[in-house]
Amino acid sequence: MSGPWGECLVPAVVPSPEMAAEVRRAIGAVPGWLARVAPVPWLVRTFTELATKPYAYAAAELTDLVALVVSQDNSCRYCYGVQRALFKIFGYDDALVARLERDFHVAGLPDTERVALDFARKLSRANPRPGRRDYAELASTGLEGAVIAEVAFAVAASTILNRVATLVALPPETALESIPKVPLFRLIRPILAWRMRDARRSPLPLADDGRGFGARVVAALGDAPGATILRRTIDEALRSDVLPRRTKALLFAVIAKALGCVYCEREARALLLAEGLDEGTIDEVLANLGSPRLDRREAILVPFVRETVRYQHADIQRRTREVTAGMRHDEVVELVGVVSLANAVARLSVLLDAC
Amino acid sequence: MLWLVVAVLAAALVALARRGRRTIAQLERRLEGSSRELEALQHAFSRFAPAEVVEDIIAQGVSTHAEKKEITVLFADLKGFTAMSERLDPAELLMILNEYFERMSRVITTHRGHVSKFIGDGILALFGALDANPWQTNDAVRAAFAMQASLAELNVRLAADQRPTLAMGIGIHRGVVVAGVIGSAELVEYGVIGSTVNVASRVQELTRIHGVDVLVTAAVRERLDPRVTVRALPAVAVKGLPEPVPTFTVAPDDGF
Repeated sequence: MSGPWGECLVPAVVPSPEMAAEVRRAIGAVPGWLARVAPVPWLVRTFTELATKPYAYAAAELTDLVALVVSQDNSCRYCYGVQRALFKIFGYDDALVARLERDFHVAGLPDTERVALDFARKLSRANPRPGRRDYAELASTGLEGAVIAEVAFAVAASTILNRVATLVALPPETALESIPKVPLFRLIRPILAWRMRDARRSPLPLADDGRGFGARVVAALGDAPGATILRRTIDEALRSDVLPRRTKALLFAVIAKALGCVYCEREARALLLAEGLDEGTIDEVLANLGSPRLDRREAILVPFVRETVRYQHADIQRRTREVTAGMRHDEVVELVGVVSLANAVARLSVLLDAC
Repeated sequence: MLWLVVAVLAAALVALARRGRRTIAQLERRLEGSSRELEALQHAFSRFAPAEVVEDIIAQGVSTHAEKKEITVLFADLKGFTAMSERLDPAELLMILNEYFERMSRVITTHRGHVSKFIGDGILALFGALDANPWQTNDAVRAAFAMQASLAELNVRLAADQRPTLAMGIGIHRGVVVAGVIGSAELVEYGVIGSTVNVASRVQELTRIHGVDVLVTAAVRERLDPRVTVRALPAVAVKGLPEPVPTFTVAPDDGF
């Protein structure tokens, strides 16, 4: 990891007792991120749900590996620290963790996991996004479509968590990271692992008819629990009134364009048309990352969000600090939440192109 | 006696085990060191070639894999530098040239381009070659404006030090190139070939004829932000191209 991890961009706030209780009920503790993300309830729910390993088809070991490798690849100090600590708590072999840190290609993993991690890393880097050939290679190892969809969802989940954590520079979870260093840890590790390691979830068909922004991407997850989380997250993010809906649609559109996701760009265009922006202005914004019809804040944010697609953590933290100067803390948190979500959805859409 | 033999054997086994552990620890440390070096190299190489090309090279060695890409090429050259180089002390000349390259490279990287090579006092920079970039043309033109501004700053300092100042012409063209790892077994580089590169170079030469600092082609103009003021210039015949080339001089407007 190059460059220092910055000071957190947003102050710690005291979450409401109800919010704290809900998070504790779901994940068994009140993590440090809650105090930073609390001003935006939809993002709190997303963080909470993603922390509970919402997978019905992919093995926990595989999704854990994906989270570790993607967090390392994204140089996310916060998420990588958490994942590493969880690996130790869950009882993974220390030598395996060390080998994974060096290079998962030579970590002695079975072919299926190695190819899945290759796919996950390509999807996370999205330079370019993996295509049919990568999907076919993964399928040829024997992984079923539902498992591959959850591997892609695990990447999307890490995309959200890594970006939010990196852009606002979430302080490391030192309490969690220090657990494996406690002398008695080896004795209590089996109990902790049993307590913290969730069993595989049951499939969860979508409650509604699947309409809304990104409907086809959500549908590509089938009845995986991730589909319901993604549907709710997108809907609540767009409904939230912290930032104007038009601004959020612009952020979705620019990230879709940057990642070459034709489907997501079309969806974002539809949102912008519904917000009263005409086709000509949308074309102008997407061609030039600017337009006289944008408001002052949009004129700053639109060219900025392309930088969140691929970044070096120190640079993006500096840039996020620059562009959010003068914004309220809840606006900053919603901004990083929306750009992280847009990055995740545009990556996840490979399931449409590749299948 | 038997106990003594057992004790000696046990001690020997313990010593062997300790030595084995030490050797393993040493090997692991070396492996970790090599792995870090490899990661650092991979990171460094990603500035010169697309990440996937770097990964392919690491996994399979140098291959002849090549692909067609639409990119934007910026060619910059110092005006009158050859005459200046004959007047100046070699050390002073190199100091000025290196500072110029340093500044221009920084500006190009900031605007998401990458310096493909230095050719004498010329710079060949590519936009959209390493990462897919739908805004590559505007990035290249922004880079050109920023390069001129940076050169103006450098000139203030050179003038204050009573050194000769520099003037630079920039040509920008957009088109399809063949990109890949090019070279011999001893020396390879990630590069691009095709007429797009030649056109950018020829357009740069036209800055002297038209007396302007930055010139772009019609392919660039088509995709240019309307906030850039564009003025058409007469088409001029250039070496290697069948038709005279129409070019446009550009200037930044408010907000670009």
